[in-house]
Amino acid sequence: MTPTVKNVALPLICLALLLVVPAVVSDSYTRHLFIIAFIYAIIASNWNLSLGHCGVFNFGHLTFFGVGVYTAAIAAKTLGVSPWISILSGGVTAALAAFIIAAPVARLKGIYVVLVTFAFSQLAMQLVLSQSQITGGAEGMVRIPYLKLGDYSFIRDYKLGYYYAGLALLSVSTLFLIAVTRSPFGKSLTAVRDAEDYAASRGISVSRQRILVLILSAIFTGFAGGFYAIYLRVASPEVFGFGTLSLALSMVLIGGTGTTFGPIVAALALTFATESLAGIRGFEEARFIVIAVAMILVLRVAPGGVLGILDRLLPSARQ
Amino acid sequence: MTETLLATLVSGVVLGSLYALMASGLSVVWTTLGVFNFAHGALMMFGAYIAWTVSEAAGLGLPAGILAGTAGAAFAGVVIERLLVRPFYGNRNMLLVTVMTTLAAMIILEKGAQIIWGARLKQLPRLIDGEVSLLGVAISAHEAILLVLAPAVLIAIWRFTVLTNTGRSLRAVGQNQDSAALIGINVPVAFALAFGLSAALAGLTGALLGSIRFITPSMGAEPLVKAMIVVIFGGLGSLGATAGAAYIIGIIEALLILWLGLYWTPFVLFLLMIVVLVFRPNGIFGGRE
Amino acid sequence: MGRLLDVRDLFAGYGPIDVLRGISIHLDAGENIGLFGPNGHGKTTLLQTISGLVRPTSGTITFNGADITTAQPPKIVEAGLVQSPQGNTMFGEMRVQETLELAAFSRRARGKRNDNLRRVFGLFPRLQERGNQRSKTLSGGERQMLSIGAALMCEPGLLMMDEPTLGLSPRLKEELSEAIGKIASDGVPLIVVEQDIEFLLRAADRLYLIEHGEAVQEIDRANAPDHAEIMELYFGKAGA
Repeated sequence: MTPTVKNVALPLICLALLLVVPAVVSDSYTRHLFIIAFIYAIIASNWNLSLGHCGVFNFGHLTFFGVGVYTAAIAAKTLGVSPWISILSGGVTAALAAFIIAAPVARLKGIYVVLVTFAFSQLAMQLVLSQSQITGGAEGMVRIPYLKLGDYSFIRDYKLGYYYAGLALLSVSTLFLIAVTRSPFGKSLTAVRDAEDYAASRGISVSRQRILVLILSAIFTGFAGGFYAIYLRVASPEVFGFGTLSLALSMVLIGGTGTTFGPIVAALALTFATESLAGIRGFEEARFIVIAVAMILVLRVAPGGVLGILDRLLPSARQ
Repeated sequence: MTETLLATLVSGVVLGSLYALMASGLSVVWTTLGVFNFAHGALMMFGAYIAWTVSEAAGLGLPAGILAGTAGAAFAGVVIERLLVRPFYGNRNMLLVTVMTTLAAMIILEKGAQIIWGARLKQLPRLIDGEVSLLGVAISAHEAILLVLAPAVLIAIWRFTVLTNTGRSLRAVGQNQDSAALIGINVPVAFALAFGLSAALAGLTGALLGSIRFITPSMGAEPLVKAMIVVIFGGLGSLGATAGAAYIIGIIEALLILWLGLYWTPFVLFLLMIVVLVFRPNGIFGGRE
Repeated sequence: MGRLLDVRDLFAGYGPIDVLRGISIHLDAGENIGLFGPNGHGKTTLLQTISGLVRPTSGTITFNGADITTAQPPKIVEAGLVQSPQGNTMFGEMRVQETLELAAFSRRARGKRNDNLRRVFGLFPRLQERGNQRSKTLSGGERQMLSIGAALMCEPGLLMMDEPTLGLSPRLKEELSEAIGKIASDGVPLIVVEQDIEFLLRAADRLYLIEHGEAVQEIDRANAPDHAEIMELYFGKAGA
């Protein structure tokens, strides 16, 4: 595969296919799975910006998502803001949260980055739990206002509107990620990841870079959180938990750290895979074990992710 | 007022004993292998379930259950080391990769427990019924045993690493793997031993905690997070600092609950943890690297 | 006299590139050998491959008649083949005496722990003075003594020393050189890696010049060329 085919044509074909899916798939449950997959794809691919491209051991990425969820929920339900604006405000507060956590993280190394970012997500969860008069505490928030476009209501169209809104958000997020990674800044990220001392000697400020990359990775994750809250019409503290964290992490790993499309493909594949496993009796819990095992196998056999294997196989097939 | 304060202090020390057992296990694996074991809380939960199965389901009694829980968790720990940690020794990203594989181990253990033992709450009986008075504060006899057992176990482990050849070899491997190998220490065996010992500590904690709290598949998450706060506070480097930090965090937590209530306490603890990490990345007691 | 150590056509390295390219050396019972040559040409890698830290890609290593090519370090130490690594801090947080006691870890050495400890303290009285100190507080020379002392605690049947006098003052160098002489006269065969050829000619019966991962020259002390010739051999080749 030539780079043009791989980086331009193939994603466009995938996008075209996704655009016609609702014409073929009319049941709202399958469409729902696609929407959830789009949201996870945004989470995983943006997480990959800090984890894969920059090598920041950020284990608090789901905090940004959770902040987006609760911002949109509170804005739309408590403050009566338009749901559209609420979704956007989720991205703003998520970026703000990223800025707060980035300052200490930029100074730390190794396991301490993991611990602080993880502690930060726990901190956010405890804040949500303790402020139950605002956030609904452990029960969360329900009946959050839904999207409307003029007179068009998004809840009586078999999820057609949400499908395209989610796909649009994913597309813009992907374009944003491509722009970031292709920019000189994006190239300097990889340089720092691969040789921190060298990059520092070339005058690249590692701290400033880390702060910036965390903020950039938070923006669309926050939008996705806002969209998630408005779409599902609930907000629950579960989004901060180990379960969501490990599912998103497995998408990054299986898709391939350091690639843009890998986590997106993995998110789509894993969402449908886990959902169909859940349909098998006795697999409601076991599907998480299957994902965990897959994650371990990928780390052992193909550290570059599954797309990485294809990359290695395809050129040799061409020769 | 003094009575409330004393009662708080006592419950803080009980919490501290629990955290000390958990956190010292994390610290043993960290100092020997340089691996942060995210499955540590799940190993604790696993120990609690094994203890319940042997003690209650099989009816062999609590002491047998505690022994089995400790041994079962140790075995699981060795398996985790063998399958999920050892393949990545020498990997450039070993630290991050093992964080991920042990996270996967946590999911496997938690979901596995849910499948095997079901979602229904379980609880172990107490070792001894009745109450004991400590500084004029009444606590359950079971908690009193925990209070005595935790320091005893920690001191035993500390003496083990200082006085015995095997214990010293664990420290040596943690400090310089090549030099350890060159004086004839089997490094992979030392790694497995450290993981087993750490998991045994987790299993023991779980078996003891199973009499105080309900046993659930996710019971390990909260103690793991607390143990993380402890190791951050004390630094990951030494057993003594970790144990000291555990008791301090236990007492701080009890005081915070008294002053701020249950809701705000975890929030303040995490805030404290982040502040400590920002200003002293190696912990309050940790030396500077 | 039998052959104690026989290394044949050894290839080894880190990652895809071989540092050792078909090296062959041997040591007969009753002799000591020295290795010299420019830095980065495989001397340390050779010792690490013999002691099992680095995996050879091909070739064989035989010690005392047993094939140890793929043996793990603990097995090799148990057989009596011991390496004292270069510029080593050993275990920084551990005390000196504790380190030495621990070094008698193998079954072979365990029973002789107290005898060997006395012997090491006799050889290096300074280690006894520093017995209660943590290793990381030792000076460069003391660290070197600890490294050799720990190797002696393993009850070696053949001791390999990697640049024992690297970076030491002339006075300390003399002190260590004397100690190494004593170890040899106690009947422990030695393989010594050194840059200082004068030093090697005193300590070893035969020398190998190691370049580009091969033993390119073998020098017998009995008919050793004079100093100037060795210097020319060494620097002439190294500079080429």
